[in-house]
Amino acid sequence: MAEIKLENISYVYSEGTPFEISALEDINLTIKSGIVMGIIGHTGSGKSTLVQMLNGLVKPASGRVLLDGKDIWENPKEIGKVRFKVGLVMQYPEYQLFEETVRADIAFGPKNMGLDDEEIEERVLEAADFVGLERDFLEKSPFDLSGGQKRRVAIAGIIAMRPEVLVLDEPAAGLDPSGRETIMRSIMNYKKRTGATIVIVSHSMEDMAKYCDELAVLSDGKLLMTGDKKDVFKRSDELVSVGLDIPQITTMMKLLADGGVNVNTAVYTVDDALAEIYKLL
Amino acid sequence: MDNNYFIKTESLCASYKEDDGRSVEVLKNINIGIKKGEYVAVLGHNGSGKSTFAKLLNMILTPDSGRIFIDGTDITREDMTEKEIYDIRRKIGMVFQNPDNQLVATIVEEDVAFGPENLGIPSDEIRRRVDEALATVGMTEYAGHEPHRLSGGQKQRVAIAGIIAMMPECMVFDESTAMLDPVGRKEVMDTIDMLNRERGITVINITHHMNEAVRADRVIVLNDGKVYMDGTPEEIFNEPYKLELAGLEVPQCTALIQELRRKGVALDGECTTPEKCAALLIKALGGRNNG
Repeated sequence: MAEIKLENISYVYSEGTPFEISALEDINLTIKSGIVMGIIGHTGSGKSTLVQMLNGLVKPASGRVLLDGKDIWENPKEIGKVRFKVGLVMQYPEYQLFEETVRADIAFGPKNMGLDDEEIEERVLEAADFVGLERDFLEKSPFDLSGGQKRRVAIAGIIAMRPEVLVLDEPAAGLDPSGRETIMRSIMNYKKRTGATIVIVSHSMEDMAKYCDELAVLSDGKLLMTGDKKDVFKRSDELVSVGLDIPQITTMMKLLADGGVNVNTAVYTVDDALAEIYKLL
Repeated sequence: MDNNYFIKTESLCASYKEDDGRSVEVLKNINIGIKKGEYVAVLGHNGSGKSTFAKLLNMILTPDSGRIFIDGTDITREDMTEKEIYDIRRKIGMVFQNPDNQLVATIVEEDVAFGPENLGIPSDEIRRRVDEALATVGMTEYAGHEPHRLSGGQKQRVAIAGIIAMMPECMVFDESTAMLDPVGRKEVMDTIDMLNRERGITVINITHHMNEAVRADRVIVLNDGKVYMDGTPEEIFNEPYKLELAGLEVPQCTALIQELRRKGVALDGECTTPEKCAALLIKALGGRNNG
């Protein structure tokens, strides 16, 4: 499907003023086709700026964003088309719902793509299915839904464009555990059925451990590390030192190791921890 | 009226109206007593009624039926005077979810002074309270800063200082860490713990983070508008299946210890935090391993 490659990406806020802040510095990152890439970093580390570059919402000050080997800014007039291929779900997207019905809101993207009515309808239904919204929701006003339901409508609106890369900035923030799981399952469902590449920004290390294949860690606008999630969580001391959490279970395994128990600390799910402990029993 | 309770609800019911006029019951017959100085976490999935409960306590919302006593005063009385209402809102301070919605002034210390100013407190007393409140939340050095340049955690601490400056007896945190990153969340949680442990302020922390709930003395789980569970964190997390039915989950470490216990491994003691869990395991494994 689709691979994204960032080459020497930099970005500066308020360039040329005394308030100049370098938001991203020389980022080189490859998001391989069909994987789930997690982007982690403390507030202000540049995560949101980075993901907004993936669909051309923010233009890098220097460097190139390659979608399947092609510079997305090669022809700036065509940048709109990139946004159909790379769908971006921003933080708290439920605040961006505006149509009178859920159906119209989900249809907004496909309509902008110039699709015919039949195709739009098909995509609306498909997207609603992906996020688990029942048909009778389609005629409701989005403003009559609960927070978690609104969030799903917003995600369906992006999915309806059938993006090859689905980028989500904190898709589960502020939701309770079951709401969080519903959202994450919807995303994984979309990936499984379409083979799309997924990029997720999240503060929940437990979710990252559970759903991602690879992780990229940002700190102060720089790429601190990237790679397989196992290798990233192995460097938990570094993660903690840049203000990040590690999964609770990893913290506990480290405490065990510190207490003289001979366990592998590169563990981030309950099942893996159980397997480690059974070895000692 | 039982004078032992600072907050007491009797058969409390509340609902809200949908656009089409349909009434939806949010709280169904809630009977809760909270003592002065208690640290209570209220857990529940979205829509379980926990925010409604919080907003009833300082009269942002009014119940359909039932009574709420605050420090012996029935605040559901028809004849509550304006002065009494203000007094309740001073006694019970609320901190909400979104840090950007709670700050009103352009300078941090002016924001903290906003509450006491409205209470008509003399200016030298306000000065003293503002300084002390900012010191309490560790934000003294930001007194002259603009709130919008602060991090989320710092903004929430300024919001907390604004409440502290009104010298409340109880503080209600309505998902106050939900929009914060791990650093901000820790700053705010440490502040909440300190207000209870060192200042003796009664704390009600409404959350769906289990890691926060374990820091309280008592956890109340609301589900479908009713009190579903009420006990110590240890007691509550001992019933993972029951929690799951309420749309909640136990922390990873707790789940691990419980699974080991089910497999017959003897692990006696509390298992609510990584530290406690590691201690249990070191005790069980350590000897064999070091030998």
